[in-house]
Amino acid sequence: MNGNGPQKHILGTKDKPKSMMNQLSLPSWDSPEGRVWISRIRDNVPFIAITLVILLFWFISGDRFMSVRNWTFIAQQTPVLLLLAFAQLLVVTTGSIDISVGSNLGFSAYMAALGMLWFGELGFLVGIFSAVFIGVLNGTIFSLFKISSFVTTLAMLIIVRAVLVIVSDGRSIYVSDQPMSNSNITSIEAKWLLDLGQFPQILYFTVIVAVLLWVVYEKTVFGQQLKALGGNEKVLRLTGISVNWFKIQVFAAAGFMVGLASFINLARSGAATVQAGEMLELDAIAAVALGGTVLTGGYGSVLKTVVGALTLTIVANGLTIAGVPPSWSRIARGLLLITAIAISLNRKQIDVVK
Amino acid sequence: MNSNSKPILEVNGVSKSFGGVEALREGSLNLFPGEVLAIVGANGAGKSTLIKIIAGVLTPDRGHISIRGTKITRQDHSVGFIRQMGVEVVYQDLAIVPNMTAPYNLFLGRIPKKFGIFVDVKQMQAKTREVLAELKVETVQSLKRPISEMSGGQQQSIAIGRAIAWGKEIVILDEPTAALGPNETQQVERVINEIRKRNTATILISHNLDQVFRLADRLVVVHQGHTSKEFLRNEVTIDELVKAITTG
Ligand SMILES: Nc1ncnc2c1ncn2[C@@H]1O[C@H](COP(=O)(O)OP(=O)(O)O)[C@@H](O)[C@H]1O
Ligand SMILES: [Mg+2]
Repeated sequence: MNGNGPQKHILGTKDKPKSMMNQLSLPSWDSPEGRVWISRIRDNVPFIAITLVILLFWFISGDRFMSVRNWTFIAQQTPVLLLLAFAQLLVVTTGSIDISVGSNLGFSAYMAALGMLWFGELGFLVGIFSAVFIGVLNGTIFSLFKISSFVTTLAMLIIVRAVLVIVSDGRSIYVSDQPMSNSNITSIEAKWLLDLGQFPQILYFTVIVAVLLWVVYEKTVFGQQLKALGGNEKVLRLTGISVNWFKIQVFAAAGFMVGLASFINLARSGAATVQAGEMLELDAIAAVALGGTVLTGGYGSVLKTVVGALTLTIVANGLTIAGVPPSWSRIARGLLLITAIAISLNRKQIDVVK
Repeated sequence: MNSNSKPILEVNGVSKSFGGVEALREGSLNLFPGEVLAIVGANGAGKSTLIKIIAGVLTPDRGHISIRGTKITRQDHSVGFIRQMGVEVVYQDLAIVPNMTAPYNLFLGRIPKKFGIFVDVKQMQAKTREVLAELKVETVQSLKRPISEMSGGQQQSIAIGRAIAWGKEIVILDEPTAALGPNETQQVERVINEIRKRNTATILISHNLDQVFRLADRLVVVHQGHTSKEFLRNEVTIDELVKAITTG
C-alpha cells in the first residue's frame, strides 16, 4: 500500500486531464479561487468538525456538557486514545498501518505492572521495552519478509493478546496507594502512578509528549523521512536510503508511543487487565483519520491528530450525556468517521481504491 | 566533445542475459567530459539494460565499466559505489517524492542536519535557489509547498539539478521528457544545455530524434543488444540514423 497512487501524477501528466475536468465539473468549483477554497476547507475539516460537535452537544445538553467537571473528564479520557493515535500516525504517515496497538497496550501495561512487582518503581520500564520490542518485531516481519503491515500486525494483534492471557493466567494486577493485605489480589503500591492518572498531571504529561512528537514530526530528518516514505518508497530506495531499516525504526517508535499509552492506561485505570486496550486500535485509526491524515500515507499532522482524538472522545461523551444508548453511539461515531474522511479526501488524486 | 581528453566513462564489452534472452551483447561506448551522448534504438533494443549496468542496478555477465580510468570490479559493481564515483541517474518517472518540497527532493538522501537530528531547512532552501538560478529555472512558486504543485518541467529540472548540485560529473537521463508537454520539454532541454556548460558528461536516452539532434554531440545506436553504430551529430542525417536504428 505504499504510495503507488500519486506516482502517476508526478510528471506533468496532470496537464492533459485538466481540460477534461473543466468540462466535467462546475466552473465555479474548478476556478482557481474555487480550488483554493475547497483545499482550504479540506485542510480544516478536523477543526470545523470539532467545533460543530462541541456546539451540537452544547445545544443538546447545555451545562451538563459544557461544565468544568465534564471537560476535566474529557481531559482524562483522551490521553490513552491520543497516545495510541500518535503511534498510529507515525505508521500511517509512511503508508502502512499498525492494528496491533490495542493488544500491545494490554500486554505492555501488564509487563509494566509485572516489572514493578519484581523490580520496584522503575520496573515500569519493562512495559516500555516490551512495547518497543513488539514494534521492532512488527517492523522486522513487515519489511524483511515483505508481508503487508496489515497482515503482520493483525497476526500480532492475535498473538500478543494470547500471550497476555497465558502470562497473566487471566489475573489482573492492581495499583494501589497503600499497602494491601489481601493475599488473593496481586497488587503494587505506587501512589505516584495513580496520581499521574489524574487531572491535571495526566494532561501535562500528554501535552509534553504531544509537543515533543510535534518537534520530531515536523522538524527532524526522521519526521521528514516518514512523509517521504509515504510519498514514494521507490525513489527513497534508489537514493540509497536503507528503507527496511527505517521501517523497523518507524514501528519501534510507534511501539514506544504504545508503551507510553500503556503506562498512562495503567495509571488511569489502576489495573493491568487481560482486556486492556481491546478494540482500542480501531479508535486509534479513527482518531488519525478524523485528524485528516490520509491512510495512504505521505501527509499527516500531530495537531490535527490531537483534534481527531478529542473529537472522538467528545462525541462518545456527548452522546452518553444526551442519553443515547451505547450501540447507537457507536453507529453515530462510525458515520462521523465516514463523513469526515469523505470530505477531506481529494478524489482527483485517487486512481484506485482498494 | 573534446576528442583529445580521456573518456570519463568507458563501457567495455558488457553482456547481460535474462534467462534465455540476451538483452545486451558486447555493448561498448566511451563518454567524454562536457559532451551529451545520446543512446538511441528501437523498443527492446537494450538501452535500459545498458543504462542499468552503468548505474550499477544490474551487474554485467561479462565485460566491465571504468570510471575515470578506474575499472569497476564485479564486487564493487553496485548502485552505492557507482554513485560515489560520481554517476547520477534521472529516471523518467521515479525521480521525485511528490508530497515533499523541492528542497527536500534536491537533497534526497543527503538531508543536511542541525544538532544531528534536525533538518537544516534554511541551508536547503538557499542551495535550492542557487541551483535553480544556475540552471536558469525561473518562477518556482514556493519552496515550502509539495513539489507536485510545480509544473512537470520544474519537477524534472529539480531531479536533474540533484545530479549536478553534488558535483556529479556523469549524469544519465533516461527519457527525461517522455512525460512532458512541449513547453516543459523546452525547459528541460535548456537545463541539459546548462549542465553541458559545466563540463558534466551526459548520457541521454530519448525516443524523440528531433530532440536527440538538438541536444546530442554524439550518438550511439543500440540494435538487438549490440552497440552497432556511432555517429557525430554533424555527420549524420535523420534518415541515416533511422536506418541504423531499424536495421543495425
Ligand atoms: N528484467 C528483465 N527480465 C527479462 N527480460 C528483460 C528484463 N529487462 C529487459 N529484458 C529484455 O531485454 C531486452 C532489452 O530490454 P531493454 O533494455 O529494456 O530495452 P530498451 O530499453 O531498449 O527498450 C528486451 O527484450 C526485454 O524484454
Ligand atoms: Mg527502456
